[in-house]
Amino acid sequence: MGNGEHIRLEELELFALGALPEDEATALQSHVSGCGECAMKLAQARGNAAMLAFAVKQDKPAGTVKAELMARIRANREAEERNTWPSKIQIVEGEEAKRKPKVDAKSSWWNWVLVPAAVGLAVVSFALSWQNRRIATELQKERQAAETLIHDREQIEKLVSVLASPDTVTVKLAGTGDPASTSGLVKYNGKTGIVLYAAELPALPADKSYQMWLVPANGAPISAGLLGPGGHAWGSMWTAEVPANTQAKAFAVTIEPVGGMPQPTGQKVLLGTT
Amino acid sequence: MRPQGTTAETSTDWSLLARVGQRDEEALSALYDRYSGLVFSEAKRILRDTGAAEEILQDLFYQVWRTAERFDPAKGSLAGWLLVAARNRAISKLRRKSGKSEELDENGVSLSMDVESHAAQNLLLDKVRTVMGSLPENQREALECAYFEGMTHTEIAEKTGQPLGTIKTRIRSAMESLKKVLSG
Repeated sequence: MGNGEHIRLEELELFALGALPEDEATALQSHVSGCGECAMKLAQARGNAAMLAFAVKQDKPAGTVKAELMARIRANREAEERNTWPSKIQIVEGEEAKRKPKVDAKSSWWNWVLVPAAVGLAVVSFALSWQNRRIATELQKERQAAETLIHDREQIEKLVSVLASPDTVTVKLAGTGDPASTSGLVKYNGKTGIVLYAAELPALPADKSYQMWLVPANGAPISAGLLGPGGHAWGSMWTAEVPANTQAKAFAVTIEPVGGMPQPTGQKVLLGTT
Repeated sequence: MRPQGTTAETSTDWSLLARVGQRDEEALSALYDRYSGLVFSEAKRILRDTGAAEEILQDLFYQVWRTAERFDPAKGSLAGWLLVAARNRAISKLRRKSGKSEELDENGVSLSMDVESHAAQNLLLDKVRTVMGSLPENQREALECAYFEGMTHTEIAEKTGQPLGTIKTRIRSAMESLKKVLSG
């Protein structure tokens, strides 16, 4: 399939088109999963193949499709906002009420026993319902806190492994224009594809983001995350992951629209070569 | 809060997607208006079925709504994901009809062209149609069989009665022509 190291572009393009038989596709996918360079070329091949959609005669879907979609979305959003737990309790209460025996209103004995009992039950049910809602909310908060702790622990472990590894390279970033006093530092572990970086940069307008780029030895720059709001920050350092085994030639920071771009489009503010 | 000076029309895909993640229906509506024509047309071309294509269109954008926070610009473009995912779902329906089944990976699609504005899309429509129209018939046929019919190179070779190597060469040549236009 390949030249012993990397997959031939022709094979990647056939794979991107979906034209490889299953056994060849499986073998190729297995290689790509562990090869940053081939993964990047495959992403580009997929992008080129996706352009074939522009060869098709354009047609508009019926207006009802969007209306149904938005209704579906609205229903989903309302369901998310509602807490369904009390609704289930209410339904059970309704069913229990239906199963209760019917009482002859003329019997005073039943009136004296069952009416107060029914009122008492209603009060207890209401209190339990309120308590269950409170417990569900607390549980959700605890769950979210636990997930945050697990995420933080994973981030710490990544940080330590990168800083301690002999394969990690350090790249100093220097300002490329105004203000020239900006600077940055990148720690990159090519084997794992983990990038750590810190930078001193002035604040940007609300519609802009700083974006970090890894410039590989071959191919187009790869986004290594956003700095500041919307980026993956740990303390004063940011972390990102790129495909493993990507050989880095340089790192750069550019100014992009908020949320970032697939490729650099804006002014370069920091640059460092490996 | 939307940055000053931006409208849904001028906002980037990622800024709209960030808003969708915060349950902004207007942002999802803007993304739908931006890409529904392309997605629907592609699915309809493959399936030759308006209803099935509309179903794929609606399901894809509902998926965008449900999983907006999981999209990562480092892994590829939203437009690329939409187009490849639409193609994959349509081909999967075709293959289920024919008894074949195969999952195609739709993650990691890197577009080299801007497709976020109607002007950019119109330009691409013109460019790609021109280059496809200029391809030799056998190259266009091989490419369309692969991408729009979901056929492997072996199946295309059997269908056309051509050697496998010839089919691979035709597909490669057609893709080279397409890439030249896209990079120009």
